[in-house]
Parts: sequence; structure tokens; C-alpha cells
Amino acid sequence: MTSDKVPHAGSIFDPKLLSRCISCGFCLPACPTYALTADEASSPRGRINLMRALDSGMLPPDDPTLAEQASFCLGCRACEPVCPAGVQYGELLEQWRGFQWAGRRRPAAARFLIFAAERAWAHRIAGRLRGAAHTPAAASQHSLMLGCFERSLFPEVSRSALALAPELAVPRRQGCCGALHAHNGEPDRGRQLAVQLGAQLPGQIVTTSGGCAAHLSSVIGRDRVAELSEYLQNKVTGQVRMGDRQARVALQDSCHLRNGLDVWREPRTLLNTVAEYVELPGAARCCGAAGTYALVRPRDSRRVLDPKIDEIEAAGIDYVVAVNPGCLRQLRQGLRRRKSTVRALHIADFLRLAAG
Amino acid sequence: MDNVMSEMFAYLTVLGETDIPRTVLAELRVIVGSENLRLAAGELAVYARDATPLFRGMPDAVIAPADAEQVARILRLATDHGIPVVPRGAGSNLCAGTVPLTGGMVLSTARMDRILEVAPGEMLARAEPGVSTMALNDAAAAHGLFYPPDPGSRTVSTIGGNVATCAGGLRGLKYGVTRNYVLGLTVVLPTGEIVRTGGRLWKDVAGYDLTRLITGSEGTLGVITEVTVALLPDPSASRTGLAYFDSLTQACRAVSGILAAGVIPSTLEFLDRSCMDAVEQYAHLGLHPGAGALLLFGDDGDEAIVARSFERIAAACQDSGAIGVQTAGDIAESEALLTARRCTLPALSRLGSLTILEDASVPRPRLAEMVARIDAIAARHRVTMATFGHAGDGNLHPTCVLASAEDTEGIARAERAFAEVFHTAIELGGTITGEHGVGAAKLPYLEQRLGSAQMDLIRRIKAAFDPAGILNPGKLGS
Repeated sequence: MTSDKVPHAGSIFDPKLLSRCISCGFCLPACPTYALTADEASSPRGRINLMRALDSGMLPPDDPTLAEQASFCLGCRACEPVCPAGVQYGELLEQWRGFQWAGRRRPAAARFLIFAAERAWAHRIAGRLRGAAHTPAAASQHSLMLGCFERSLFPEVSRSALALAPELAVPRRQGCCGALHAHNGEPDRGRQLAVQLGAQLPGQIVTTSGGCAAHLSSVIGRDRVAELSEYLQNKVTGQVRMGDRQARVALQDSCHLRNGLDVWREPRTLLNTVAEYVELPGAARCCGAAGTYALVRPRDSRRVLDPKIDEIEAAGIDYVVAVNPGCLRQLRQGLRRRKSTVRALHIADFLRLAAG
Repeated sequence: MDNVMSEMFAYLTVLGETDIPRTVLAELRVIVGSENLRLAAGELAVYARDATPLFRGMPDAVIAPADAEQVARILRLATDHGIPVVPRGAGSNLCAGTVPLTGGMVLSTARMDRILEVAPGEMLARAEPGVSTMALNDAAAAHGLFYPPDPGSRTVSTIGGNVATCAGGLRGLKYGVTRNYVLGLTVVLPTGEIVRTGGRLWKDVAGYDLTRLITGSEGTLGVITEVTVALLPDPSASRTGLAYFDSLTQACRAVSGILAAGVIPSTLEFLDRSCMDAVEQYAHLGLHPGAGALLLFGDDGDEAIVARSFERIAAACQDSGAIGVQTAGDIAESEALLTARRCTLPALSRLGSLTILEDASVPRPRLAEMVARIDAIAARHRVTMATFGHAGDGNLHPTCVLASAEDTEGIARAERAFAEVFHTAIELGGTITGEHGVGAAKLPYLEQRLGSAQMDLIRRIKAAFDPAGILNPGKLGS
């Protein structure tokens, strides 16, 4: 199986997965893009009917609605936990984009990011220059994964994580987990990279990115992967204070962490231990970062983000915490545009602040 | 006019074939704006079906008007040009009521989604048709009120769709169904007139009760653009419980026992073993692994009254041979049980990729007999039938689960079995559909239930509202 093969209609989808949906529509209220358009085509049920139309040849592969909807979908998988029929939408979307975005048809921004993610040496150098965490190759039981873009964008995150869990090994030589590939039309390469990373890092792999955690565990197994807040359960101490009161902090869920791995209580528990936790009404809703989405569809990404920034502004909080670097970047941009006084931090940095 | 002409010519180049004349398309664009008129093949394909399996039809256009005035202009054009119009809310109905069988336009109410008013003093709410049932109830709850009808799909379904199908739900036994709460409607007739039926009054007998006629008319008489519904004070306490039985027949006997004890529970639902398995897979509730059926019961009202009805319900279940009775500890647990029950149908699709469900209803005393006859019918036609439903209402949802949607022979057997189920229901004094509606799915069986004189009357009523026959053709009145 090569990553560049272009499947023909009829062989794009796993028929078992595609036939699961009974079109009950229970997914509609959970879908952020349906909330924007109120159009069936941009709902999970509608997209599955589009996939079926592609699969059966009823719509030609170059149909413009197919291209538009494959790209308009955030891939947040909020439709999965609400689906009584157990449709694996995320898996279907990967298969769909594997076809829809094969080769030159992939959006340029996604192509560029995949190109960049493939340059492991560049991430090593960037990580070194930016001062991301690393430890000598010790005989540690478990390891900390350095996200490929996180290393240069937010090098402090891995340093905080290592400060909170100094027992972890952090080898410099580690590649991309492949989530980026899997979500952008190269599911095979995505799996291959996850397997490679699983072989490079010893023991349980602790990650500071919800998206990587979900992809990695879908390939190398749930027991090999722990998202940082899972790993740190019962291990945090200290307080984050604002003058003479506890800091008020809210969480932005990572979609794949919550919808894919059902991890959402864990970060809340930790935040509640070190500060006053405030639940945002839409904490579980996608922030619009959605992997490459913020770059591929910047306008729609902001339309998804705007109501969230409203909520953050209205909540009377000091901090909003993210458990995924993409969400962190998105929240910071949104807050900066509004000149908000709320600070966005990665959970690793917030917990380190608490530990003092 | 120039603008219209240039838009028309733009269509000449991009448009495939459609049965709607280009001049009409141009006018429709002027009415709703081009972004609310969808014509591309992919955009249309997703409106070819609703939540009903096996029925589909490609529309020629999908149009999303913003208000009654736009709806009126669209319908007038459609009547003038003989173009079918199929009104659609969330497309969660189970009778193929929103499938555009003969093409034409799907008219989506999605943009008309404002709650216009909640009036606590009058205990009523006014809303546009695209508001979800859940959102309406939440708005009422903010004033200490609630909207009782709660169809299983209430998180998705729209109030307009609920009125059009006279939706039922889990609280039907104690609180009735949609028709018991509709006070007034604004309806656009296919000929373009906007009429207001009923209003905000609890007593109003001026004229025929058109509000009731349009409630449950399934989008065949007019397009509902505003709904006024009655609300009730939110009960101070509510509880939910479960009783397990060896068989569904035994559970049915318990239902008679409960009602004979003078209790009218707000919820009285049953699930057979297959349904329990499917729900358990989705919701992980820890349901009894060995029981053959379960009865989900609930009541609401004053704390002391709820406590007393629970005692009586539990005693009646024990007397009917229940192998276990549990009550939910708190509201969250109660909600989990009710949510799981609402998800039974979609959860059943875990057992096979095609689920065809029916909606027969019988007088309550015949429930046990009906359940036994369904079992016999399923065995005779060699189909797997899982049964759940609103036991307290005598409303059953026998559901055929088939491994594949391509199994034409299996589908034919299921259809023969269901024809017998309908026949049996009528024989027992029941009906072919309790709450899902007729749509295209049950139209062939309707005459069995109503007789030819009533069918003729329905057609004459339909013709009086819709002389050109453009509104939801192939359904009621066709």
C-alpha cells in the first residue's frame, strides 16, 4: 500500500463503516458547521450521504459539493459521542479525504504543512534552537513526545511538562505522529509514522497534544499513550492565585481527545485542584483550529472561533487552558484580536505556574 | 429586470437539467437570495431522503425562505407552474414524509428558527417552525414552564415538523401529544394566502378547528410558518425507574396492573431483549443481563405524590412477576435512562445495517396479545423483529433488523410481515401509525384503516387547500 494510490469510486470506504448511519439526524445539533449554515450538506448525516453518493457513482468524483464539504468539515468528531448507531465518522472522513485530497487536489496549506512535518531534521534543529525539552537517552520507563510543530511554536510546553514529570525521557530523535497526514488525505502514511514513533519512544508515550494522543492510540494502542492530564492525575500540587483569590480558569477541550478518547474529566479535575474551575457553555465545541483548518479555511475557522471568544470574555475568567497546541494558537490569536485580558495557556504551563 | 435576465443567463451555463423553468428559478433567487437557493447535484442529493430507510427522490431545488411572506411568494409561483413543494424541518421523520418523490422543491424551514415569545402569564410560547423541540422546551424552562410533548428525536426535530406530524413521545400517557398543545398556527396556503388559525386563547370555537386539521397534515395542506403552543408549569419533582421481566408479554400485563392501580405515570415504556442489548452497547447503563424485557416508568409532580405512585408502580410490577425493580438515584441517572430509551431506534442499527421500524398502536388491554401476535408473525416470515415502544399508550415500534440494505429478499419478507402487523393492529381495534405519520411509507395501508368514504373526504379536503396538488405530492390526500 503506497500513500499516493488513488482509489476508485466503490473502494474508497470501508462498506461496514459507511452502512452504519441510518440518517436519524441525532448528529445535527452537535455539528459546528451545520450550526453555521443550517444546510443538510454541511451536517455529518449529509456528508455521509455525500460519501455514499460518491461511493455509488451517483455523484462524479469531481463534483464541487463533494470537494467543498470534504474541506468544510472541521473533522472535530463531535458527531461521534452523540451517535447512538456508533458511526465512526472520523475514520470515514479520513477515507474520504484520502480520495478527495489525493495528490494535487489537496489544499496548498495542508500540502505545505505535511511537507514541513516530514522534515524531522528541521524539527530537531528548531527544537534545539527554541529550547524545547530534552533529556539524555536515559533508561526511563516512559517518554514525553515532542510535537513536531509544538517544538518550535511553544517550546515552553515541553519544558513545563518535563518539570511536572521529570521522570520522563525526552529523546531529541523523534518524528511526527502522523495525525497531520491521517487528517489530510494520507491515512496510510499517517499510520506508518505512528508506528515509527511508537518504536522510537520507550514505554508509555505522554503527549501534550490531544490530537496526537487520539491518532497515536488509534494506531499503536490505547495503553501505549497517555495525554498529559491523564498522566498527571493525582500528581499536581500548588495553586494559581490572582492577588488574594484563586485564579478563575476555564478549559477548551481538545476535540479528538474528548470525542475520540473520551478524556475530558481529567484536565478538569487537575484545573479544579489548583484553581477555581469555570465550565464554559461551549467548552466541548471545536475552537476552529482543527489541525490544518485554521490555515486551509481561515474565514470559516474564525466564524467557528468568534462565539467561543464571546463566551470566554463573558465568563469572568483569568485564564483559558488548552490541551492541544493548535487550540492554544487559535485561542491566543482570537483573544489578541479582541484585545482581551484573558490569558490562554497550555495546561502544562498552567500546572507549572501552580507548582511555582 | 436586467439583473434577473443576467442571472438567468448565468444559469444557462452552470445548470444541469431541472424540471423547474429557468424563469422561475430566477424569480426564486430574487425572493430568497441566491445563497438560499441550492441547485448543485451534490447539494440536492443530501435532501433526497429523511430518516426513513428505502425511500428517496431527488429534488430539483432546495429553497430556504426567511419568513411567511417569502413562503407565500414561493408557493404562488409553484402553484402557477405546477412545481411540487416538499416542506422539511430537520428531516428526522420516520414515514418518508419529507422525501421529494416527484422532484420539485424541498422547502427547508431551517432559517425560520426564532423563538418569538414565551409568555409566562398566559403559559404559552410562540415560535417559528425551525426551532428545535429541545430549544423550545429550554426557553420554557427558563420561566419555570415546560412543553410536554417529547418525541425521541427532540434534540433534532423542529416544532414545525412536530406539529406537521402531530408528534408523540415518551410523556404521551399522562400529557397527551402535540395536538393537545397547539393553540394557534400561521399557515401559508399553496395558493399563497397567509392564514392564522386559532391564537392565544384556550377557548375559541369560531369556525372549524383548522388548527387541529393542519396539525398532523404532514405538509400536505399548507406550510406552517408560526406556532403558538400551550405550556405547563414544570413539575417540582420527577423520578424514573426500571422493572425487569422474563418476557415482553409479562411486562404488558404489568402495564395493565399499574393503570388499574389508579396511577397515570408520565412515562411507561418497554423494551425487549434485543433492544436492551442495543441500548446497553451505546449507553452502558448496566441493564439486567438475563431479563427478557424491561419496563421504564416515570412520574412527575409533587414530591409526595410521585413517591406514592412509585410505591404503587413497584407493587404492581412485583405482582405481575417482575424479576427486579430499581429506581434511579438522581436526576442525572433518570435522564440517562430516558435518553437511552430515546436512542433505542438508532442504537438498534448496531445489530444490522438496515432497520425498518413500524408504529402500530392498539387499545391498551390488547397490548399483550399484540406483542404475542408480532412474535408469531416474525417467526412465520423468518425476520428478526425487536420491539420497543410506549407501553402506556399501546403504541408499539416493532423493528426489523436486516444485515444489509441490499438484501432485497429480506426486505420483501419484512414488508410482508409488516403488512400482517398492520392488519393485526386494525383487527384488534388499533391503527397503522400511532405517532410517526403516514407519509409515503404508510399511504398504501391507509385505506385499510380509514375506509373509502374517509379517503375520498381527505382528497376533497386536500383539493380545497391545494387545487394544483403541488404540496407534498404522493403523501396524504394524494
